[in-house]
Amino acid sequence: MGEFAISVIKVRDTLLVTVPAEPDDSTVSALQERVLSAMERHDPKRVVLDISAVETLDSFFARTVSETARMVTLMGGRTIIVGMRPAVAITATQIGVTLGGIETALTVERALD
Amino acid sequence: MESRQPVPRKASDDEKAMNTLQHSELLQLLVDSVKDYAIIMLDPRGNVISWSPTAERLKGWRHDEIIGQHFSRFYPAEDIEQGKTEMELRVATQEGRFEDEGWRVRKDGSRFWANVVITPLRDRDGRLRGFGKVTRDLTDRRNAEEKIKRQAQEIVEMAAVPVVQVWEGIVLVPLIGTLDSQRTEQLMERLLNRVTETSSPVALVDITGVPAIDTQTAQHLIEAIAAVRLLGSEVVLTGVRPSIAQTLVHLGIDLTNVTTRSSLSTGLRRALEMLELRIVSKGASSA
Repeated sequence: MGEFAISVIKVRDTLLVTVPAEPDDSTVSALQERVLSAMERHDPKRVVLDISAVETLDSFFARTVSETARMVTLMGGRTIIVGMRPAVAITATQIGVTLGGIETALTVERALD
Repeated sequence: MESRQPVPRKASDDEKAMNTLQHSELLQLLVDSVKDYAIIMLDPRGNVISWSPTAERLKGWRHDEIIGQHFSRFYPAEDIEQGKTEMELRVATQEGRFEDEGWRVRKDGSRFWANVVITPLRDRDGRLRGFGKVTRDLTDRRNAEEKIKRQAQEIVEMAAVPVVQVWEGIVLVPLIGTLDSQRTEQLMERLLNRVTETSSPVALVDITGVPAIDTQTAQHLIEAIAAVRLLGSEVVLTGVRPSIAQTLVHLGIDLTNVTTRSSLSTGLRRALEMLELRIVSKGASSA
């Protein structure tokens, strides 16, 4: 899959990032690269990370997302995670993933409010 | 006159013979006609020696296909491996009777739930001549029982953790009784699903009906709250009574990141505020 599986779209002051159903490690690594380079290029106010397609979440993915969020903050933006599935949230809590202080939203629309 | 004497005697022998014949014919008719029970006979080794229309209807084999076959044909492979058929004949021989309820197999491989009674057949000298086997199909009864059991389980689960939508964007979980790990798991699953289905940004978790809180229960609640947050929704924990507040502080449980309220009504007001909604009385709005 790699970096082509992720879509990164800039809409006004928002960077909308869509993650595929089963991101492998290279996809997850590419995610961080793409988000940070888009931050540098466009300087958006916020990054909306749509993970509504994601069916399984492993600790590498969780760690990368929370690291990326901290990096985005350092670059002057805020990260909002959108659309986590109930089953994924349960697994995440069970393996102790809280995603730190990252904002979350139920839908992309609410994230843009 | 003389010649007449023996006649009744002879006739009575014939009658007896006739009666015996009729008797066994009637018995055969009974076996063939009984619709609810498949009655068959086995030889002492367990091979089928008599078959009946009901047995054919229930199990699928025709008379000529099954006569001489071992009765293990009616059993699932796992039962045969465990030596169930030998055990059944042994118990029947020793105790005079064997009864069992379990899965049996039809000719086409499908299964049915059967009640089976095996009775040893002995002649006047006590020699074992074979076995009578009476089988009843209880599949319908079993299915009905399973259904009732399933429904009862569903009702119990629903009553254990109801999740109701109280306002557009607000769901409520009124928790009643002690919270164990299993219930918390159910709570999480239902709450998260409802939050997603109704796209509710606020979930009220009311613990008014929870008698006491210990470290483990609190930990479960904190986990559930964390999971709701991951979805993009907020939890307001309501029903924090004085005794619960004291316990939480004494146990050193940190709920500073969680919005808590003492009563459900103040919690609901907080939830409405979070949604930037306000309830105004008619008088106040017209004034």
